[in-house]
Amino acid sequence: MKTALKNFKIRAIALSTGSVTRSYIEDGLAQGIPQIKLERISQTIGLNIRKTALNNITALDLCEDAGRRLLRQLDLDVSSVDAIIFVTQTPDYSQPNNASLLHGRLGLSQDSMAYDISIGCSGWVYGLHQAALLCAHGGLGRVLLCAGDTLSRTTHKLDQSINPLFGDAGSATLIERSGAEDMMYFMFGTDGSMSSAIKVPAGGSREPLTSKSKEELKDKFGNVTTQENLQMNGADVFNFTLRDVPQAIQAVMSYANYKVSEVDALVLHQANKYIVHLIGQKTGFNPHQVPNAVFAKFGNQSSASIPCVLIDSMGEALAQKAVKVVGCGFGVGLSWAAFAGEIGPITLCPIQPYPQTP
Amino acid sequence: MNQVALLIALQSDVDCFSGATLETPLESLPRWDSLSILLVISHIEANYKIILSGQQIRQCRTVGDLLNLIPTL
Repeated sequence: MKTALKNFKIRAIALSTGSVTRSYIEDGLAQGIPQIKLERISQTIGLNIRKTALNNITALDLCEDAGRRLLRQLDLDVSSVDAIIFVTQTPDYSQPNNASLLHGRLGLSQDSMAYDISIGCSGWVYGLHQAALLCAHGGLGRVLLCAGDTLSRTTHKLDQSINPLFGDAGSATLIERSGAEDMMYFMFGTDGSMSSAIKVPAGGSREPLTSKSKEELKDKFGNVTTQENLQMNGADVFNFTLRDVPQAIQAVMSYANYKVSEVDALVLHQANKYIVHLIGQKTGFNPHQVPNAVFAKFGNQSSASIPCVLIDSMGEALAQKAVKVVGCGFGVGLSWAAFAGEIGPITLCPIQPYPQTP
Repeated sequence: MNQVALLIALQSDVDCFSGATLETPLESLPRWDSLSILLVISHIEANYKIILSGQQIRQCRTVGDLLNLIPTL
């Protein structure tokens, strides 16, 4: 479905990563995987360094740090924030939601909204759309969108098909009402018939945690997982990124009446370097228009990867001027969410690990 | 395009098929892994404009079975 909004702007973005630096090759060698195999995979999909969170640090902590740094840099009174939207698949509790917890930690006014959106890699775009709706049509002046996950802890450490992919990060994006007449165009899609392609089977109401859900299963490639871990059918997810994601990008560009040549950047969820490259190629973009450095530096950061690209790869331009951006998040659901519009100039806080080492 | 030509094209893109014949069981290829499955899907999509499902590939026993999934005109 397509929709377009105006009278809002993105004012600032901050992002905090986990503080543990992990090397794909070193971790693999320590597990006894041959170097030649590790290098083949590293070169093909760009696995290199990722930043994961300490065991006692959650997405809530990472987003709180990003949110505090953002508010401090803008010198904003926290009472001026009308709503918190928290996008995550890894909340602290099943109840209450992360947005209320963060509301309490930051000390927002009681006269405010706080709700979570349970979605993954397409989530920053979902959150942006929600925040924009609240500002453009809901009478709110200022919304703090927090998007982040600690997916590195959801996978089994011996599941080589998925465990080395994920980094942990939390982002904070401030969206404000404005008189800007420029439209942001959105395109959303869902394929619930493929919902098992990315799934944590046990731990919710349908399949509670039991001794059986902890049983380890090994596949024919030697990867180990349990029903409590994040599982992904790589081939089915890959198919969806080849088929549905390029279509959504082309559809949102057509809706916005954008030509490839006039777009400054195609900002994609950084699933891995190979997928980013293929989507850029299939949608007719020149490689220099498609930032792809984030995955090799931080890993797949779920809903935080698009704000990470905006800071890491486009920060210099975004700090100075309006930039014409097309973007797309895609993942669990299966779900995809594309946008097209001008962003900037905006305030960007540097990417920092949390907690900081003394 | 016959199956041998399809195999040569596949071998030029996906490293795990070097030295394989149409009769080679996929499971016997040392580098047949989840990454190779993605590379096969990508190769077939780019060259023949069809997207194979994970299930279609999992049902294949030999390299020839895999190439049979490509419709020939």
